[in-house]
Amino acid sequence: MTLSHLATEDVFVVERNDADFRAGQGMTKGLGIVFRKFRKALFGKPNSDRADTEGQFNVQYPEERLVLPEAYRNMPILLYDDATGHELCTSCFQCERICPPQVIHITQAKDPATGKPVPAAANFVLEYDTCMSCGYCAEVCPFDAIKMDHDFELSTGNHPELDVNYDRLLRPISYYEAIAPTMWSDVKEQAMKKLQNNIKRRPGAIGRDHGQKVKGGAAVAVAATPVAGAAPAAAAKPRGPVAAIGKNMPEEKVAKLISIRAANAAKRGGGDAGAAPVAEAAPIVETVVDTPAASAAPSGPVAAIGQNMSEDKRAKLEAIRAAKRAQRGE
Amino acid sequence: MALLARGELRSILQTEMPNALDTRWDTQATDQPEAHGEGQTILLDFDAVVKAEALVEVAHFIRDKFGYTLLSNITAVDYLKQGLIEVVYQFYNAAEGGPDLRVRVRIGRSPEECIVPSLTPTWPGADLQEREAYDMYGVVFPGHPNLARIYMWDEFKGFPMRKDFPKTGDKYTHVTGE
Amino acid sequence: MLKTEELQINIGPQHPSTHGVFRMLVTVDGETLVDLKPVFGYLHRNHEQLGEVNTYLQNMPFTDRLDYFNSMVNNHAYARAVETLAGVEVPERAQYIRVIMDELSRILNHATAMGFMLGDMGAWQTALLWGMREREKILDMFEYVSGARMMCNYCRFGGVVRDIDDWFITELKKLMQGLPHYFDDFEGLLLNSEILLARARNIGVLPKELALAYSVTGPVLRGSGVAYDIRKAEPYAVYDRFKFKVPVGTVGDVYDRFLVRIAEMRESYKILEQAIEQLPDATGGFINPKVKQQSLKAPAGEAYARVESPKGELGFYLVSDGSGSAYRYKVRAPSFINLSSLADMCKGYSIADVVVILGSIDIVMGEVDR
Repeated sequence: MTLSHLATEDVFVVERNDADFRAGQGMTKGLGIVFRKFRKALFGKPNSDRADTEGQFNVQYPEERLVLPEAYRNMPILLYDDATGHELCTSCFQCERICPPQVIHITQAKDPATGKPVPAAANFVLEYDTCMSCGYCAEVCPFDAIKMDHDFELSTGNHPELDVNYDRLLRPISYYEAIAPTMWSDVKEQAMKKLQNNIKRRPGAIGRDHGQKVKGGAAVAVAATPVAGAAPAAAAKPRGPVAAIGKNMPEEKVAKLISIRAANAAKRGGGDAGAAPVAEAAPIVETVVDTPAASAAPSGPVAAIGQNMSEDKRAKLEAIRAAKRAQRGE
Repeated sequence: MALLARGELRSILQTEMPNALDTRWDTQATDQPEAHGEGQTILLDFDAVVKAEALVEVAHFIRDKFGYTLLSNITAVDYLKQGLIEVVYQFYNAAEGGPDLRVRVRIGRSPEECIVPSLTPTWPGADLQEREAYDMYGVVFPGHPNLARIYMWDEFKGFPMRKDFPKTGDKYTHVTGE
Repeated sequence: MLKTEELQINIGPQHPSTHGVFRMLVTVDGETLVDLKPVFGYLHRNHEQLGEVNTYLQNMPFTDRLDYFNSMVNNHAYARAVETLAGVEVPERAQYIRVIMDELSRILNHATAMGFMLGDMGAWQTALLWGMREREKILDMFEYVSGARMMCNYCRFGGVVRDIDDWFITELKKLMQGLPHYFDDFEGLLLNSEILLARARNIGVLPKELALAYSVTGPVLRGSGVAYDIRKAEPYAVYDRFKFKVPVGTVGDVYDRFLVRIAEMRESYKILEQAIEQLPDATGGFINPKVKQQSLKAPAGEAYARVESPKGELGFYLVSDGSGSAYRYKVRAPSFINLSSLADMCKGYSIADVVVILGSIDIVMGEVDR
C-alpha cells in the first residue's frame, strides 16, 4: 500500500526476531531481571524520587500516607470565617446550576422581619453518594465559599448519612488554609472583601447560625440523617489515621490500634501533622472530636457538637476540648 | 486515488451517478451552513446526500475510485421537526490520510421508511455500529447478518435515543416521571 | 475417530479476563473455537443521551468515564470537538500541555494494557504490577495538575483548567530519567520470553485488508501493517511539530500488537522530550479567556473531531442546534469498533487463546458500552 501521507522514514517495522535460535535464553534473561528487581525490593531503599525504577515502591497505607496535592479534589465543603463565624455562601445558585449530576440543593435565607431574601443560605444539602467530584462547584463559585475537601475516608454503612446537610458541610477557613495554603492565598483577599459586603446585608444571626437553622424550623424540608448523633461526628472528623477507628469497634481492638499508632508515631518522631496525638485518640471513641484547625475558632467546635446530645456528654466534650487547648498552650 | 475536498463528492456524483443523489436536497445546497436560530434543528446540505438504495453503490464507488477504504463512523441523527432520520457515514483514506468524507442518507422516521441497506457485507466493521443505530434509533439494515439489539435487552420496546422517546418514567415498572 | 459435538459456552460477563462486564458466547468443537458472538450492554448507561441533556461544559466530566484509563485523552477529544463546533482558538501553551498529557496517558495505557494481556496469558501480576508502577507515578502527576488521578476533568474549551508549573516539569524530567530503564526492563523480561512467544506468535492473526475492512484503529491496525496514525494522517494540536515514527507490524498477530505498543511507548517518550523543550512560556496563557465556559453556545452546525487515543481513533460527533447543549452527541469509541474484529481473529484458535486475543485488542468496557 502506498502511504503518501507518511514519509518512508517516519514508519518502521517492529522487529520480530523470528529466526533466532531459542533454548530458554529469553526466559533466563527475563528471570535475571526479575531476580535483580526482587533483590532491590528486599534490600534496597524505599523510592524517594520519581526517577527510581527499583527498590521499594509501596506505601503502607493507613500508617503512611502520601502527601495530597493542593489541587486534590474529593467532596465539596463549605467555608465559614473563623473570626466572625459568618458563612461565605450567599446562595447565588451558581454551583447548583453547573453541577453535572445535580446533587446540590440550596435554600436561600429570608429576613424573618421583612421576608426578603438575604445573601446567605438557609440550608444546603449535598448528596455525597451521587457527587462525581468534578470540582465545577468550586470552580464557578464567585465567593469562594465552596471548596473541594481532601478527606477521602468517607465510607459508611449508613447510606442516608451521605445526604450531607449544611451543618456537616461547614468547615472553618483555617481548615481549608491548612490543606491548600497557596490556593487560598490566591483568592483570600477578594473572598474576604466580598464576605464583608455580605455581612452588612445579613440581619441578626443569619449567616452565622450554621447548623441551627434546620432545627429552628426554617421552611425547609431536609433530608436529615436518621442518626442524629452520627452527623456532627462526621462533620468534625479529624483528618489522619485516627479517623479510621470505628465507633463500633470493640474496646480491646481500639486499644490495640491506639497502641500500634503510638508506636508508629514514636518511630516517626511525632512529626506527622495529620495524625492526632495518642492522648487525643482515645476520646474519638466517644464520637466527637474537633479538627485541629477548628479549635482555633471559638464558634467552630461548638457548632460541631450535636444538638441532640445529652447534657453530660456535652459537658464531657467541652472538658476534653478545654484540656486540649491548654495542652497547646492557648 | 485522491483526497476529496468537502462538498466535492457531491458534484462528482452529479456527473458520474446522477441517480444516486437524493434530489430532495438539491435546491438547498449551500457552501455555508445556515444557522436557523436557537432551538431549531439544522440540516446541513453540504455533503452528498444519497438515496438509501444507492448507498452501497456509492460507498463502493468512493472506495474503489478514491481509496476511501476505512469506514470509521456511522452516526444516526434524529431530526424530529423535519420527520427525518439521517445516517452519516464517515470514510477515511487510509493511504493518504486527511479529513473524512461524509456520505449522508436521509430517511423517514416511520418503520416502513426507516430502512438503509447494510454495509456490513463489505465493511464488517460496520456490524456493531449498525446494530447500535438499530437499537437506539430503529434504523433497519437489510443485509445485516445479525441485526439484534446491542445495548438494550432484547425485549425492550421503542428506540431510546429518538427525540420523542420519553426521558422520564419507566413503562416497564409503571413508575411515572415528573 | 471419535465423534465430536459442538458446545456453546459463555465466557463472562463476570470473568476476570474479560476486562469488565463483557460476555462472549463461544461455540467450541473440542478446544477449537468455531464461533464467537460478543454480547454487550452490561455497562450501558446511555452516555450519549446524557450528552444531549447536559450543557457542553457539564458533559466534560462524563467523558472521563468513557475510557477511564485515559481521561486526559477523552477530555482532549471532546474539547476539540466543541472547539471546532464553536470556533474557539486554543493558546499554544495549552496545546502543548494537552500533548504532554496525551503522551503520558499513552505510556500508562500501554504499560497497563500489556500487563493485563500478560495477566490473561498466565503471567499473573508481575508484568501487570510493573505496568501499574509506572502508571502510578504518572497518575500522581495527573493528580497534581488536575486534582484527580483518573477522573481528571482537565481540559476546558480553549485550554486547560490549570497551568503546569515548575514542580510538574521537574517531576516530569525525573520521571523521564527512569522511563528508558523501565522500557528496557520490560522488553528484557518479555520480548524474547519463550512462553510469551509460544502464546503470542501467530495467534489471532488479522491480515491488513481485513483490518481495514473491520475499521480497527490504533495499535491493532498498525500491528496488522497499516501505518495509519491520526497524529500523522490528520495532525491535530501541535503534533505536526514533533519528530516521531509510526511503528507497524508485519503479520498482525498478538505478538505484533504487543511489539507495536512497546515501540509506541518509546515514540511517546520522544514526543515528550520535544514537547518539554518546545513548551512556550506562560505569557500566552493556558486558556482562552474569551470563552464563556459555563454558558457556551455553539452555532448551529456539526463537528467531528478525533484524536489518536491509545486505543485507536477516538472521535466525537456533535450536532448543534444553536442552544447550550448538543443536539446529537456521538462517541466513536475505539475499543467498541475494534471489538468487531474479535470473532474473526479468534476463529480456529484454541479457547485459551481467546482471552489473549481479547487482551491484545485492549478494551475498556466503559467505552464499549457507553
